[in-house]
Amino acid sequence: MKISLIAFVLRRVRSNLRQLFWTHVLTAGTMAMTLFVFGGFMLVEINLQRLLKGWGDQIQIMAYLNNGLPAEDVRALIKRIDAMPEVERVRHISQEQAWRDFQTALGSQSGLLDGLPREILPASIEISLKPAQRDVAVVEQLAERLKREHGIATVEYPQEWVERLALAVLAVEWVKWMLGGVLFLATFFIVGSTVKLAVLARKDEVEIMQLVGASEELIQAPFVIEGMIQGLAGAAISIAGLWLAHGLIQNELPSMSGFWMPLGELQFLDPSSLALLLVIGWLLGAAGSLISLRRLVRSWNA
Amino acid sequence: MIQLFHLAKTYPPNHRALTDITLEIAQGEFIFISGASGAGKSTLLKLLFREEEPSEGQILIDGKNVTRLGSRGVAQLRRKIGLVFQEFKLLPGLTALENVALAAEVLGKSKRESRTKAYQLLRELGLKERYDAKPLALSAGEQQRVAIARALINDPRLILADEPTGNLDAEVADEIMRLLLKMRDRGATILIATHDLGMIARYGKRVLTLQRGVLADSKGPPAAQGGRR
Repeated sequence: MKISLIAFVLRRVRSNLRQLFWTHVLTAGTMAMTLFVFGGFMLVEINLQRLLKGWGDQIQIMAYLNNGLPAEDVRALIKRIDAMPEVERVRHISQEQAWRDFQTALGSQSGLLDGLPREILPASIEISLKPAQRDVAVVEQLAERLKREHGIATVEYPQEWVERLALAVLAVEWVKWMLGGVLFLATFFIVGSTVKLAVLARKDEVEIMQLVGASEELIQAPFVIEGMIQGLAGAAISIAGLWLAHGLIQNELPSMSGFWMPLGELQFLDPSSLALLLVIGWLLGAAGSLISLRRLVRSWNA
Repeated sequence: MIQLFHLAKTYPPNHRALTDITLEIAQGEFIFISGASGAGKSTLLKLLFREEEPSEGQILIDGKNVTRLGSRGVAQLRRKIGLVFQEFKLLPGLTALENVALAAEVLGKSKRESRTKAYQLLRELGLKERYDAKPLALSAGEQQRVAIARALINDPRLILADEPTGNLDAEVADEIMRLLLKMRDRGATILIATHDLGMIARYGKRVLTLQRGVLADSKGPPAAQGGRR
């Protein structure tokens, strides 16, 4: 495109932004609202993933040892388990240690243990998994292998927790794509409708440009650029809104405990997520304008 | 310059606006297309600048088959044609100067070049003092002169005017006609659709008369022999 044509397009954009200021504000505002919902969902997802990861870090497998297992066999067993690829670390809990831990856990009620033999609690090996291996299938497979190990009486792990965790991760993934898809579609139609308003307001301009021999690209270019500007403005407004909402929720967090503990600080969207929001806004604005414009012009020419 | 072969246009469901029009128009001719309302005058012009597509027949302009043009070809065709309408078709948000310059700017001419030429044309058409006014602040005659300036800015070889004096009083209408004659003298071919028989009689040019879509009469020597007259 010639420089004079580029300059012409930019002049049209500037003049149109001025003349139809409130229509553009309406479109950018609509996009900001839908992108805010989408961005909010991204925010929830990022933090939910962190929460799930926090819970996952707490998953451990307990392998209870046979009573009277010789110390040599215990050492060999620990060595074998430690060498397994899924295992991050192992901790041996002797019968003595188990007794002391139980006493500590009972606190003032520890007197209940008086008269009981110290051997009543079995020695065990506490096994923590590598982060990448904290998966229900891996945990189950590893537990099966451990059960076959010489010296291990029983293996326990929070199966229900692991399964729920896996389900929650799956649910978040599904909701992300389904809600994301619905939101994109809704945003696209809303943008298309508001752009249609802007295009209809400039029907005469399009018609006159066609009559004087302007090329299709030249007629479409200002609308598409305006759509991009609206999209970027909408995305920027939504990011500002998300940042404010994040700050408000963050202030409420100190009162959260227990269930929310692994979350620690509420995380804001990372730079790549922010860039994604801007790109989505940019693309929605451009595509919404172009498709709406083409459909309208085709209907006028029909 | 223009050749029409068995041209017909039917609007759905079954309204025949033009039937079997065959004629030839030479470069530099000044022609009136007359007929009552609904006779097909506007349809004929719309077919020439490809706002409408014919149902049958062919249109050749400068040897190019207009009926086979794609959207790019249509844009190219319209760059050679100056269009003037009864309702002026000016953009209300732009000044007279900007409205005229727009037609040159969309073809890639610089802002300075376009506006200089637009100003010259407006001055030539007697609008030197009104170049900065927006259409709504101009009289009907002034608006039509702005529209004519816009039609002329790209030095078109063909000017199509659909009832260009329909909204103007007699004095202003004559002024507009004189301007169009001046353009003919510069070599442009002019086709004017009008139902104003008085005006047609005053100027004594070739007349194509349409009656219910049929070319009923073509007064004046055949275009092939004539040329400018």
